[in-house]
This record gives sequence, structure tokens and C-alpha cells, in this order.
Amino acid sequence: MIAVDQNKVKALGIDIGSLTTKAVVLDDGKVLASAVILSADMAELSARSAAEKALSQAGLNFDGNLHVVTTGAGGKSVPFSQQHKAITTCLARGIYYLFPTVRMAIDMGAESMTVIKINERGRLSDWGNQDKCAAGTGVFLQQIAKIMQMPLEQMAKLSLTGRPRADISNTCAVFAESEVISHIHRLPPTPKEEIIAGIYLSMVHRVMALCKRIGIEKDIAATGGVALNSGLVGVLEEELGFKVLVPDAPQTVAALGAAILAKEGMDKGVK
Amino acid sequence: MTISDQKMNKIDALLRACRLMLRMSKARPEPRKSEVMYYHMLAGYYTRLLNAREEGKFVAAHTVFFPSEILYAMDIVPMHTETTSWMTALFLGQYADLLSAGAELGMKSEICSPHRGLAGAFAIGALPRPDVILWSNMVCDNTAKSGELLMKITGCPGFFLDHPFQYTEDEVNYLVGELEDMVRFLEEQSGQKMNWDRLARIVAEMDRQIELLRQINKLRQAVPSPFHPQGFLELLTVDYLFAGQPEATEYLETLRQELAEAVRAGKGAVAQERFRLMTLFLPPMYLIGFLERISQEYGAVSVTEPFFCSWGEGRLDPSKPLESVARKSYMLPEMRMYGPLDDRALSEVVDCAKQFKIDGAIYYADVGCRHTCATIRLFKDVLGRLDIPVLTLDCDVVDPTVTSEEEIRDKLERFFELLEDRKLR
Repeated sequence: MIAVDQNKVKALGIDIGSLTTKAVVLDDGKVLASAVILSADMAELSARSAAEKALSQAGLNFDGNLHVVTTGAGGKSVPFSQQHKAITTCLARGIYYLFPTVRMAIDMGAESMTVIKINERGRLSDWGNQDKCAAGTGVFLQQIAKIMQMPLEQMAKLSLTGRPRADISNTCAVFAESEVISHIHRLPPTPKEEIIAGIYLSMVHRVMALCKRIGIEKDIAATGGVALNSGLVGVLEEELGFKVLVPDAPQTVAALGAAILAKEGMDKGVK
Repeated sequence: MTISDQKMNKIDALLRACRLMLRMSKARPEPRKSEVMYYHMLAGYYTRLLNAREEGKFVAAHTVFFPSEILYAMDIVPMHTETTSWMTALFLGQYADLLSAGAELGMKSEICSPHRGLAGAFAIGALPRPDVILWSNMVCDNTAKSGELLMKITGCPGFFLDHPFQYTEDEVNYLVGELEDMVRFLEEQSGQKMNWDRLARIVAEMDRQIELLRQINKLRQAVPSPFHPQGFLELLTVDYLFAGQPEATEYLETLRQELAEAVRAGKGAVAQERFRLMTLFLPPMYLIGFLERISQEYGAVSVTEPFFCSWGEGRLDPSKPLESVARKSYMLPEMRMYGPLDDRALSEVVDCAKQFKIDGAIYYADVGCRHTCATIRLFKDVLGRLDIPVLTLDCDVVDPTVTSEEEIRDKLERFFELLEDRKLR
């Protein structure tokens, strides 16, 4: 464990997602610790639990000197945070900290898909998000994994050999599930790897549409829990025609950005 | 299908709503005189429509941008179909009824909602049966198509005014010919003769109004901006319903004076102006109250709307009244979006961005409007070259089931945060 000055104010960023809540602790602009927990029903409870977990990893107490910035769903209702920031602003700060060359980040969360553009100073310049349907989100992938009766990791591996890719044309999560079920039950059934590869391709088409709407710009990073799915990222790279940067902990990027904003707030004297 | 029950129409309720708004505007701690006049005018408009039958007046329902000056000159009572159906939806909260009636006519939810709602409003008798239906291809092809359906629903005779896209002398002459045909049609249908002297007076009044609108627009360049955040909608309605009417001139003169005084006093429309915005196309009408509140909350003011407030150059000549009516149609700010998009529209956006010193632009991408949504990239690109961010808000101008207030709030807050962040550099 790193030796930490307990009395010094620490920057804490918390991203309250619909599925998981993430917390990142910064000291002097360096990441001390991070944590990911399953979200509870109450945003405040999720935020507190994630914060305590991250702080304890850093050898700190929740009651210590903290400057807290929250983001994500329900972030506004956390009474112990000094500021609430939009997820888009936090993603921009977080990904720029990790990869200063990134100009576009694709964030695929449990129930959201957001694409942001970042300028050369690491500031958000534009964004687009898919807010009408769950197709293309983590929850959708989980649902497909249930139908395919295999864990997400296995799906990712299988997808790499899936050729040709099954045609999954529907733009609605529920109808896409019906298509998958049709593929499974047709005679002969479509091979599972082709179905999974088809699902990934349909998700990537949605991502690409969002990217194109705001203008594709290199370098591109993938963030959010879905970015852990190597099969999906592989299809994304294929469609883009170049490599996509994926952080070690892609799901904590927004929390990291929130922590950076907390640090900026401390520096500016925000109370 | 015809309207069977005239008692079903909502004009009476709409009039009561206008009077209520009038009372509310008078009861404000510091009433804005022009706002009081505005609601007074609206109440007058619907009173005339409500009493038209009893008074034996001829009623013409007409679509948006149709030259109502002609109707006023012929002493025909106009009924602006889009505005009246929007107001029915807005003031009386009857979106669902109108849109569901539109669906019963076979219109899918992807079709432009004002036209769905308009057809629905006639179908259920929310709008009274007029004597004639007048429509044109201004400002989109949906409008061109909707007139025939309205004729079928109402069982009324109708006239389609063919408006050429381009502004050339040949096309002005063609449009004058169209207007002459329309006057003949109206004379035959109503039995009333065109009063050319009255039309000349209306044209002179309209010329004055356009000049006032230009002056008002210029005053809005001031920092802080003196006009309330969604004020341009008031200006639109005034031109839609009261073109060339003396009360509209009086309203515009009052408003100009109020704005000039505010500019002199350095008084802005919001307590602390933080973001000066350009509005591209129409915001959701059902969220106007919310947009006004969030504008106040964040100090965000729509200071320019190139396609609603930037009038084209030129004067109207009362000695050539029909030609002036034709020319006015080409001076309308909305004309820049009419037909093929040319460089004028893009350069107007660039000019407005600079003159009004905007921080960002909001593009209200009405999902049912192919006409406007096709241009998103073009406008984002020209503004991007000026380093001005554009928020594209997918929404619907009338149908509240497309986007919720919460979704719009979330996106606006993100956008304001982006603008704030840029100011910190």
C-alpha cells in the first residue's frame, strides 16, 4: 500500500451507473485506488459503498478530507458530493488523462452508448448518444448471452471465428432477440459463432452511425464495461480499419474523469 | 369523411385559454406591455373565428406561410391551420387526441407531427369546418400534400398556390399569376370582391412591420440580449396570424421600444447571461415553458434564429400589391430553408453566429421533418469552422412521446457544461 498523507484533501470521483458504480481516488493528480461495485437501488448508498471500497484500498477513511464529484444516473442525489458533472465531461477528462492522443471515445455502458469528441486540450467538443433503445448496450449483450446459454467471455472468443456473420438487422433490442431466437431454431440452426459475430456487427453498426454523426477522428478509445469484450472491440476495429485504444479498466474512465474534475474544483477553491 | 358536428370544435376553449394567458400576462409583477398586446391579439383572432359563422363571414383555412394579407384584404376570416392546431394541442393539452386522430387517417408516427395533428384536428372536428382550404408548397412538400387530404376531410373546395423555389423575376411573375388565380378563386367562392385599396394599405403596413422586425432583430445583438429566451416564437406567431394588420405594427413598435430601453439600460432577459445561443429550427412546443425556465436557470438565451428572424433584403411597394405579396414571400426568413439548400442559408448562419456573438447552437432535429434533418451535417460543419459547438436535439415539435422533458434537460445540461468548460480555457 502506498504511504498516503491522511490530512491532505483527496479528489474522489464517483460514477453511478445503472448496473455498477465506480469510484476513483486521486492524490496529486495520481490514481491512488479505484473500485467497482454493483449499484444498489439508492444512488447515495451505491456512491458511498464504492467510495468506501476505493478509499479503504488507498488506506483512507470515508470521513477524511475529500472533494467529491459525482456523475452518471442519480449522481445529483448524492448529498456528500460537492459537484455533479455530466458523464460526457467526465469521460473526456478521464480518457484524455489516460491517452492524450485520443480525439474520440466510444463509451458502451450497461444501458447507454455515448460517443464523445475531445479537442487537443482534452475538453469535450461534441457528443452523440443512443437513448432510444437498449440494442448496443451491456444489458442487451447480457440478454443475448442468456439466450445463447454461455458467459460473455465465451461469446467474445467464439465470435472471432464466426464467419459468415449472421444477418441481425433489427434496430430494436427486443426484436433483435427474436431474430437471434429464429437463428437458433431454424433448420439447420445458424452456428452460434455466426450468430454472436452477427450480434456484434449489428452493435458496431450502431456505434459507427453515432461516430459518423459527429465525425470520426483518430485516435479512438473504447470505454465502459462493454469495452472489456474483445470480440466486440475486434469487430469495431475491423469496421473502423484501425486499432482502438482500450484502457486497463475501461469501466472506471468516467469516475476517473470525475476525480480529475474534483481535483480541478479543489484547485479552484470550489466548496 | 366530413366533419359532422360543428359543436365539437375547440375554438371556444382556445379563446378561453388565450384570455387566461392575457389575464396572467397582465397580472405579472412587471407586465410586459408587448406580451399583453400579444395575447390580446390572439384572443381577438380567435374571437373573430368563433363569431365568423354568426356574422356571416367567409372563413378560409390556410397552411403556414400562405399569404394571409390577401384574405384580410378581402374581408375573409383566416384560420391558420398549423398555429391553430398547435395551440389547441399546447393550450388545451390535446396532443394525444389530435395525433391519434391522425393515426386513424393512416398516418404513421414517422410522418411530420404538425401535419398528422392538423389532419387529426379537422377529422375530429377540433377545428371548425372552413369555407375553403388554401395551401401551398411553402415551406415543405408535406404541406403541399396535406391540402388535398384536408379538402377530403372537410369536404371543402380548395386552392393550391404553387410557389416556385427560386427568387428570379420570371418566378415572381409566375407567383403573381398564381396569386391572381387565387384571388379569382376566392371571389368566386366567397362572392366578395378583392379590395385593392385595402390590400395596398396592408402591403404598406407589412413593409413597416418587416422594417420593425429587422430593427428588433438588430437590438437582439446587444450583450446581454434583451429579449426573453424563447421570444422569437411570439414574433413568428405575429407574422403567421397578423401579417399587415395595424395591431401587429403596434405590437412590434411596442416591443422594439421595450427592447431599445432594455439595451440602453444594459438589462438582459435573464438575470445573468452566460450562454448566447443560436436556435436552428423549432423547439418542441410542449416544452416551451420548461425551455424558458431552464434558460433562466442557466442564463442561456436564444439570441438568434436565422431561419425565423433574419428577414431578407428589399422593400414592398403598395402600388404593386400582388407583386409585393409575392416578393414578401421570398423575404421570409424561412425561405432560406425552402427548396434546395443553397449557400445563402449557410452564409446567413455564419453571419448570425458572428453578429450575435453566439457561444453555441441548438439544432432541434424534428424526427418527422426530413426537410430539416437532412441539413444537420452542413450546419454543424459551418459552425464547427467557427469553433462553435452544436447540440443536436432529436425531438418532435408537437408529439411529446418522442422526447421527454427529462431527456431534453439532461442533454441541455451537458451542453451548458460543455460551453462552460470552454469558457474556462
